Amino acid sequence: MTPTAGSRDAALKAAGAVALAGMLAVFLTGCGASGARVDGARDAGRAFEQALASRNYGTACDLLAPETRAQLEEDEKQACAKALEGQELPVSGAVNGAEVYGRQALVRADGETLFLSQFTGGWRVVAAGCTPLEDKPYRCVVKGG
Amino acid sequence: MSGSRQGGQEHGSFWRDNSLTLAFGTAFLLVLLGQALAGHADFNAQLTDDGLQRISLGEYMTSSDFAVDVTENWQSEFLQFFLFIFGTVWLVQRGSPESKELHKIGSESDHEQRMGDHAGKDSPRWAGTKDWRQLVYSRSLGLVMGGLFVLSWLAQSITGVAAYDEQQLRQLQDPIGWGAYLASPDFWNRTLQNWQSELLAVAAMVILSVYLRQRGSPESKPVGTAHTSTGVEG
Repeated sequence: MTPTAGSRDAALKAAGAVALAGMLAVFLTGCGASGARVDGARDAGRAFEQALASRNYGTACDLLAPETRAQLEEDEKQACAKALEGQELPVSGAVNGAEVYGRQALVRADGETLFLSQFTGGWRVVAAGCTPLEDKPYRCVVKGG
Repeated sequence: MSGSRQGGQEHGSFWRDNSLTLAFGTAFLLVLLGQALAGHADFNAQLTDDGLQRISLGEYMTSSDFAVDVTENWQSEFLQFFLFIFGTVWLVQRGSPESKELHKIGSESDHEQRMGDHAGKDSPRWAGTKDWRQLVYSRSLGLVMGGLFVLSWLAQSITGVAAYDEQQLRQLQDPIGWGAYLASPDFWNRTLQNWQSELLAVAAMVILSVYLRQRGSPESKPVGTAHTSTGVEG
């Protein structure tokens, strides 16, 4: 096959378009989370806070990440709902905002911060009752292993 | 040989005529896929350690973690060529085929560069102009390489802060903004570890090609050429 100059130009333009599309995709990848994902994380955080406020610990347990729930049950040597009730988690009932990076999120509530991660069933709380420490990870009342 | 001759250049099949670009382009895609597979396995191992849900290959390939690993290498490659293209206008190495002849330091005359009135019938159209088009075209290779460097370095910084902040959240720490990330050790460690390797490769190629030969390669002098011959390609 001996392509014409026109077909070579077309091939070069196509290669350029693919390269530009790739670069654009890279930029979009880094441009933060979509509004829907931020809303999803905030809604999950709010549902967790409301479950605690209404002392509905079973619902709150369902919103915990699997490892966090398992760690809580192992530490307290009792079922999740009972174990969660015994924790000194701040109860705010309201959330102020959420930040999402990739599949991880941080939700700020009155007096505490929640860390969440995305699972097949939706956003789940990885750590709760968290307060910041200078230049260190947050100290959390409930978290995974 | 079945190829035809046109303008002193032998033409063969499309595949043969473009084999260098096609081979390296194909190898690039295969190696990029290999990087994606290895990176995906590594990333999932970290997620498992943190008790988080593993992600699919497709999700990984559209993640900031994969993007920053790709772009940090891209930017340094384009920087390497940008510096090499512009640097070799003014800097020379006696005996190296990567260097121009020692008396040609600088941007050279229009006659030597076949520009303006000295452009031939087969010259690119903008080479024969005398306005901004000549100015741009006569530096287009370096400008495009420099532009790609800036874009991919910017992409590294944007995807880098997203990947860094995801990692921060996994470690129960606050995310940081783009400005703070530009001053962070993570950004500069990713950047400088790539820059140093590219600069080493250029320096090694320039000086080793003074004394060593690769028969048949245009990146080498012909095997029997003296070590002192400069600007001679095989």
